[in-house]
Amino acid sequence: MITFDGVTKRYPDGTVAVDSLNLDIPDGKIMVLVGPSGCGKTTTLRMINRLVEPSAGRVLLDGRDVADANPSRLRRGIGYVIQQTGLFPHRTVEDNIATVPMLTGRKKADARARARELMELVGLDPPTMARRYPHQLSGGQQQRVGVARALAADPPVLLMDEPFSAVDPIVRAALQDELIGLQARLHKTVVLVTHDVEEAIKVGDLVAVFRPGGRLAQVDSPERLLGAPADDYVRDFVGFDRGIRRLSFFRAVSLDLATDSVLPAATTLADAITVGKRAGEPWLLVVGGDRKPLGWAAVADLESGPPDATLAGADLAPVGHTFRPEADSLRAALDATLLSRTERAVGVDDGGQVLGTTSYERLRDAIRAAEEAADRAADPVGGGR
Amino acid sequence: MSFLTFAWDWLKSPQQWQGPDGIPSRVLQHLAYSGLSLLIATLIAVPLGLLIGHYGRGGFAVVNVTNIWRAIPTLGLLILVVVLLGLGVLAWLIPLVALAIPPILVNTYEGVAGVDPELKDAARGMGMTSWQVLWKVEVPVAVPLIMLGLRTGAIFVVATATIAAEIGVGGLGRYIIDGLASNNYGEVAGGAAVIVVLALLIQLVFTGLRRLVVPTGLRLQARSSR
Repeated sequence: MITFDGVTKRYPDGTVAVDSLNLDIPDGKIMVLVGPSGCGKTTTLRMINRLVEPSAGRVLLDGRDVADANPSRLRRGIGYVIQQTGLFPHRTVEDNIATVPMLTGRKKADARARARELMELVGLDPPTMARRYPHQLSGGQQQRVGVARALAADPPVLLMDEPFSAVDPIVRAALQDELIGLQARLHKTVVLVTHDVEEAIKVGDLVAVFRPGGRLAQVDSPERLLGAPADDYVRDFVGFDRGIRRLSFFRAVSLDLATDSVLPAATTLADAITVGKRAGEPWLLVVGGDRKPLGWAAVADLESGPPDATLAGADLAPVGHTFRPEADSLRAALDATLLSRTERAVGVDDGGQVLGTTSYERLRDAIRAAEEAADRAADPVGGGR
Repeated sequence: MSFLTFAWDWLKSPQQWQGPDGIPSRVLQHLAYSGLSLLIATLIAVPLGLLIGHYGRGGFAVVNVTNIWRAIPTLGLLILVVVLLGLGVLAWLIPLVALAIPPILVNTYEGVAGVDPELKDAARGMGMTSWQVLWKVEVPVAVPLIMLGLRTGAIFVVATATIAAEIGVGGLGRYIIDGLASNNYGEVAGGAAVIVVLALLIQLVFTGLRRLVVPTGLRLQARSSR
């Protein structure tokens, strides 16, 4: 258990990085510290292993004030992973991982054997990788070495400062999954700093949201954070991602699709113009005899053609992305609409036949209805804490 | 052409290659003066550079003081030392040591101060003491620059140790001073050629030394990023 007891960090220039922080980090859990830059999350992390000393208050590790410990000995018992990995360029992978065991006086052969065990644990092949140097590895492999190095002395506590920020999104997602898998086996007390709410929600057992000025806004499980943000700040901070992400869970079948501006190709231009004006739509969706979409006709362009010609001969804009309301989410419907030059997307059934078209207004109504229903289901008691 | 001819005529005469005035013994003298000067300069400049780089204080002063220092003419310093202390070992030793200190000091300082802060943070965060950070991380990573400083210092000293002859001691400078005094241009050109060759050899020696002392990981990294 790590306890922050009224901890404040004030720098000589008067900047307050962390302000009166009270926080308990339970054993065996991943606690994510998240917030915008300058909110004190990294300072908080660094006070645990005394890379930063608090100006006031105490940081307790298993009930003992870390200020009473010898800093080097304290740090050897706490794993430390940083963004750019900080791997030593003059040491091989195995010697990098063996750093802390060697510092604590283990024999070289012993420490290297341990290093190879850890390489297996983080998914690096010891025979091919052990004797390589950091610059010969990819970013993702370097970060795995960084994690293995932090785990080498089997510390109960692991501090991770933006550990996955320097790698591309695909590798980041893989590393996040690996961390979750590793934690399921090792049950360390992990404190992870990130500015990425998605990452916090994904890997955290608990998430502490910081606000600028080094104050804590909310500490909760990811589910509670999404369902019951404590205030407007937290709502804004997690809200944007939350809203878009939640749309993935709502089926597009609730969308009320428009059919009044969908016309067969056999319709005459004069009739098409009349329908377009009545519906108030600048674009009409033209469908073939099989009800499959052919393309979009612009009402304004139709007026220049002979009134008794049909839509079959008109210039049509491409249909664009379609979606299937039965299978796809509201997020897919919104995406197809955003990408369409007509600001409308085409919903089709499993056979590819047109069911109707979207519009922003129709999407908005469907999203509102779905969110309200979900909120009622998720929070039957009503209200936060 | 005439320079090379003069030099060649002088060099090929067998008497230049034997006795106490011969090229082999002059080269050894020259190397002894240079080696001693470089050793003393290294003992002063490397520890100083390491400490200033490690603690991060006084770096600005180091760069500025050494820049001014570099502007001191070595020959002028030689004359000043002779005036103040008279003839003797110190008369040539002090100017040569003074000449070698700036490149060694600045490169050592820059090498240590330039170590990626992330590396130092990781080292400290894993529980290295301040001295362990210096010896296990900063020094190994700074070795390429420290070696560059030593090489530059060595070449400066070898090329400039000729001034020792000005105050009547030995070394390859003798050929130049004596040759000029007796209008023997073959001797001047030949002596200069030997000094140039010696400086090139020193460069080679340090290139070899670099391969020995620069950690393998850094050498491979430098090669792959080239």
